[in-house]
Amino acid sequence: MKIVHSMIVAAGLVGLALAMIQLQDSRAASQSPQAEAKWLIVNYWSEWCAPCRLEIPVLNALNETLSSTNVTIVGVNFDEDPQGITLSIAADMGIEFPTLAMDVVAEFKLRAPDVLPTTYILSPAREVVAKMIGAQTEESLLAQLASLNLPVEKD
Amino acid sequence: MNYSTATVFLRPLTTICIVSCVGFTVMSTSLLAADVAVLESMPSPADINSSLSRVITDSKGQVYLSWVTREDELATLSYSKFEGGRWTDPAIISSGENWFNNWADFPSLMVNDDNMAAHWLSMSAEGTYDYDIKVAFYNASNNSWGEGITIHKDGVSAEHGFVAMLPMSEGRTFISWLDGRETAGSGDHITPPRAEPAMPGAMTLRAGIFDRTGGTVSEWELDHRVCDCCQTSAAISATGPLVVYRDRSDQEIRDIYITRYVKGAWTEPMPIHNDGWEIAGCPVNGPAIAARGEQVAVSWFTAKDDAPLVQLVVSTDNGKSFSAPVLVASQTTNGRVGTTILESGDIAVSWMDMEGPEAKIMLTRFSAEGNLLETTQIANSKASRRSGFPIIDSVGNDVYVTWTDISGAAQVKVASVIYGRNPGE
Repeated sequence: MKIVHSMIVAAGLVGLALAMIQLQDSRAASQSPQAEAKWLIVNYWSEWCAPCRLEIPVLNALNETLSSTNVTIVGVNFDEDPQGITLSIAADMGIEFPTLAMDVVAEFKLRAPDVLPTTYILSPAREVVAKMIGAQTEESLLAQLASLNLPVEKD
Repeated sequence: MNYSTATVFLRPLTTICIVSCVGFTVMSTSLLAADVAVLESMPSPADINSSLSRVITDSKGQVYLSWVTREDELATLSYSKFEGGRWTDPAIISSGENWFNNWADFPSLMVNDDNMAAHWLSMSAEGTYDYDIKVAFYNASNNSWGEGITIHKDGVSAEHGFVAMLPMSEGRTFISWLDGRETAGSGDHITPPRAEPAMPGAMTLRAGIFDRTGGTVSEWELDHRVCDCCQTSAAISATGPLVVYRDRSDQEIRDIYITRYVKGAWTEPMPIHNDGWEIAGCPVNGPAIAARGEQVAVSWFTAKDDAPLVQLVVSTDNGKSFSAPVLVASQTTNGRVGTTILESGDIAVSWMDMEGPEAKIMLTRFSAEGNLLETTQIANSKASRRSGFPIIDSVGNDVYVTWTDISGAAQVKVASVIYGRNPGE
């Protein structure tokens, strides 16, 4: 699989750093030194979750909309499959935003969702500032960002 | 019994809760002679790399365990019977490289006197989410399992799963399942979070009765619009089969409903309680029903306003009406419930409690009226989905519990909780 994936693999609780990894395929990885402190939209999905699949195009579009802002969309495979499988599933589902490694998710100390999809918004300090349950629209996501007075404008 | 006692907790009847139980401090009279709950670990017949287990008991009081082992792409469904204080050698039911294996939607075994049936999910098409329900029937006369039969005859490549199976008379098997035949048709089998005319239909609930070779005796659609990702659960009361499931209203209310097969017809589905949980998503947390004669008990998970609860309702009229809900657990629970009714009439509910990545498997006993008796911690576990759903069943007043231990290589575990008597009595 030659689809390029991005995976965030490290985010310190205090350091707030996100190291971006570019995966050339589901098995090989090379690490980039790039690190940024950003707001995160963390979307939990699963391959068998129909509303999740419905939401993916919305999140892909929003990911593009937010590409030059300090808000980043990242995904989490609710099923906790091994990394290679997760990335393969993400590709099959057409997910175009980065997928988090489970050790990074663990550092966020989020309660595993009771409903899929669930989307958290985390501050650069990795505090949960919003939790959205169920499938979202671009409008609902942007409205949530606006209600939080998030700086979604360009950096 | 001859199996070793690894852990024993003696809990007086006055014990209220270990964790997460709120309220319901009124102690109730149980018909059990002794006020003890004894937890015993049992040996596991399943090797490492095993998971997705279920414990099943039959009408003779015999205990069976089914589980799945995986080696690369190959999945194998096996079972064992607890006999003479030990598990029989594992027997393979079926295996395949095209199975859909999921932590919440996984194979089951049903025992009906000398007959058995087992199900698994098999990918049906190129589409990632298309899978069929395969059921194999055991022929006692030649001691062999038949080939897996696709029980739904729609021929549609879509999701089919979340099966519940029950033994019926004349060697027949009752099966309920979620059927995505109406969801197919737009390239991706999705149901919009809010219905739009141009989009495909919703997940349906179906059920059927099958003869001992898998022939369809009857089949019904029980509900035309249900939650996509929650288990169905079924039991047989004095009046016939009961099915509980998570409904999905046009307003996205996803509460637990029941439908009953009475005098040859299914009743209009009705809520067991109006939680009013509105979510455009999948809780992946189905209800669990048990029945003994006219007594019925249903436990379920709900999280309206993002407040998780496990609740229990009881019925004394075959599920026609239910009590007000009894709180089993709250706040830190993530559900994954099981329900069984003991010979005494007491009700045992299994559930999970989370603390960060850690979890505990809990078992709470209630009187037949739904009053709290005690809570016992069965085992430490993980909140991870890989730990799966603990499954319980009972013989007499003994509850059997199985789960997957993922503290190392995944392995199925089994334990029993003996109420009202000492082990070996």
